Amino acid sequence: MVSSFCWSCLTRLRQTPRTVLPSPTAVPRGPAFHTSAVRFFPNPMMRKKPGQELGGPKYRQSKSARMKKKKPVDGKARPPPVGERKALRKRIVLSNPNALEVEGMQELTEETMVDSRLRGNVLALPVPMLDQLRAVQAFKPKQGWSIFRRPGTVLRRETLEMGRLFDNISGVGEDKGTAVKKIITGSRKSGKSVHLLQAMAMAFTKKWVVFTVPEAQDLVSATTGYGPLSDENPNLYVQNEATASLLSRTLIANKTILSKLQVSRIHPALSAVQPGMTLENLAKFGVQDPASSWAVFQALWAELTATSATTGLEKNFTPRPPILVTVDGLAHWMRNSEYRTTEFEPIHAHDLVFVRHFLSLLKPGKDESTLPNGGALLYATSTSNNPSIYSFEVALKQVAARHAGVDPSAPEFPKLDPYSNPDSRVLEAFISTKPTSAQEGMLEVQTIGGVSRDEARGFMEYFARSGLLRETVNDEWVGEKWTLAGGGVIGELERLGRRLRVAAA
Amino acid sequence: MARQSPRGVVHAMQSVRSTTSLRAFLSQRSAAPAYIIPGASLSTRTQQWKNARGYATEVQPAAPEIDFAKFHTQPTRIIPRSPAYFSGSPKFIDHLLRLEDILAKYVSLPTVSAAEAPRKAWFKLPQFRDVVGEPIATKKYKGLLKLLQRLNRIDPNLMPKAVRLSLDDFIRPGNPYGNKPAPATVDNLGRARGKGKRKASSAVVHLVEGNGEVLVNGKTLVEAFPRVHDRESATWALRCTARLDKYNVWVAVRGGGTTGQAEAITLALGRALMVHEPALKPTLRKAGVITVDRRRVERKKPGHVKARKMPTWVKR
Repeated sequence: MVSSFCWSCLTRLRQTPRTVLPSPTAVPRGPAFHTSAVRFFPNPMMRKKPGQELGGPKYRQSKSARMKKKKPVDGKARPPPVGERKALRKRIVLSNPNALEVEGMQELTEETMVDSRLRGNVLALPVPMLDQLRAVQAFKPKQGWSIFRRPGTVLRRETLEMGRLFDNISGVGEDKGTAVKKIITGSRKSGKSVHLLQAMAMAFTKKWVVFTVPEAQDLVSATTGYGPLSDENPNLYVQNEATASLLSRTLIANKTILSKLQVSRIHPALSAVQPGMTLENLAKFGVQDPASSWAVFQALWAELTATSATTGLEKNFTPRPPILVTVDGLAHWMRNSEYRTTEFEPIHAHDLVFVRHFLSLLKPGKDESTLPNGGALLYATSTSNNPSIYSFEVALKQVAARHAGVDPSAPEFPKLDPYSNPDSRVLEAFISTKPTSAQEGMLEVQTIGGVSRDEARGFMEYFARSGLLRETVNDEWVGEKWTLAGGGVIGELERLGRRLRVAAA
Repeated sequence: MARQSPRGVVHAMQSVRSTTSLRAFLSQRSAAPAYIIPGASLSTRTQQWKNARGYATEVQPAAPEIDFAKFHTQPTRIIPRSPAYFSGSPKFIDHLLRLEDILAKYVSLPTVSAAEAPRKAWFKLPQFRDVVGEPIATKKYKGLLKLLQRLNRIDPNLMPKAVRLSLDDFIRPGNPYGNKPAPATVDNLGRARGKGKRKASSAVVHLVEGNGEVLVNGKTLVEAFPRVHDRESATWALRCTARLDKYNVWVAVRGGGTTGQAEAITLALGRALMVHEPALKPTLRKAGVITVDRRRVERKKPGHVKARKMPTWVKR
């Protein structure tokens, strides 16, 4: 077979004369893998014209029009000191000297808080009480306190009901010393936290002792120290700093009341505590020594919920006032915390003694009421900072159903979907049987909605009288804003009221 | 051409026989250069053909008597039927003149206002051009439309049949305004229903008398629209008529984004409100609530980055 390859062709295959090849010095060549020739660079010996530096872009350089790059921020400017930005963010301003003083504005007192004629009016918080409210961190940064001359809250229907309730608990009637337990829910900006604030203000007016957890998330977000409670209870964890700050809040806010009460029980865990010592000093002890703060808190709680002194210490006993406990952002306590065990397992929030104590209050007491001297537990959920927890949602529905008298075995009783991985501990925390004590109310869910049109009108008039709103406040205008605010959601009303609009002349 | 050749033969023979007859023939041909009258030319031809083959002994019949009554009906030059024949668009001008005549005749009849006159779907210009088969300028057709509208404004009770028939010639086939949907009514539960679309959203609104509560997909207005502007635009139909506290609104809205949904609700709400109170239509129209905005996203084109955006210009 003849090869198709022609030998004569091979003989012609000769190397091209050397001169045809471009000389390596004549034309600058790029890397061997590059097929395109490089543009001629100007002779470096030649003088450069002022505007013309190396013509053309280099390899792999963007050919589009280049903008001048911004200079990076030089590292010399120091960031603000640690904590300054957070302090600015969390700063609470309660007064605006540019706002007009509202004439004839009434203060929150024992009389006005139950006066239904004042419904829809804005009641100012008494100035001496502001320090107490600040101490218990009742104010939140974005509640719009800083736009008015002085802080005030609307007396809405829920507020009046609560005022009457507090009045009865502190009064002399048959409701004296009852314990009210409520979980407060509601849509976004509907005034749940301000409702808690109003409760605190009323409690201070009525000389109650107020315990608050202003942000439930802080207890479970692993930002404070924690440790096992004791060798006997290695699965329970105590948060000393958080407890100390709770004691400190309580101490500052309730100083006058606690200074009049004395230790009337023996506290074996605290050797330094002597009977006859004021409760103020007891609390101070826990603030100064965080290691013993949890024991001090327990002692303080035992003292405040005591109905009588132990034998021999009767002279130290004076009747204890009712207690108000508020927690804001309850849903954060219904799941695993950010804390870890030594095996690096997540710690459930219910294993933190602090959380456990406040959740246990929701259940009815064994022999006597959980708050034997009366008081209120108001635990609010949050909607702006709210983990979505299925079991908690169902638990709240079950609480509402149970309060409405639905039998747990009835078909209409809210059921858990077993496939949605429910957390049994959460459900367990809200299962409360009928309280044995008549003085103890059943756990209920209170949903806060929008204010009525009349209340909205009073609120908007307050804006107008403070000089923030330059429009004629009439029923039609208020009705429009009421609808735009989703049926009188008060936070939205505030947002509409503070939008500065100059009416057309 | 086929007919031309026997005539050529005739021509040749005639040139031999008599120049007088040739002269007559030529004069006959030149008399009607553009419009050949076949009958006339054929008759002369057969006559001369006969002459060519005739015998000398044969008795020649006399030429038929000239009928002077017929003589004038057959003019030598045909006159076009329309005087506008040479104008370029004779049919159109005929229509125009006819309408003008009618108008002049009936101009004294009472008229109604344009809003009360029966709505007619006149031919669109391209359609009319097809019907007439002539190029018609837009402006001239507008003039015709004005005439039609003026005639249409004659009181319907007094409109003569002639006018009605002549107007019908200019109406689009298919009767576009003839079949109207039944007007929406409030149902037995007091609900009015309205639909609206905007961008990619479509909304259905059920409006009942109430006290100003709004539910959008089962959520409150605040939950559905975090932005105040959207809430305002969704309820604008009620707001601009001061009915915000007179009705309750249920909305089901699907598709699109927040703004589109809000503005779809605006339209649907405006339409539902017109069911309850048709007299509000002028107010709603002025407020721009029942005006449909049918714009959609412009399509992306090849060679463009988006609908109109072009890639950055590169020198090489």
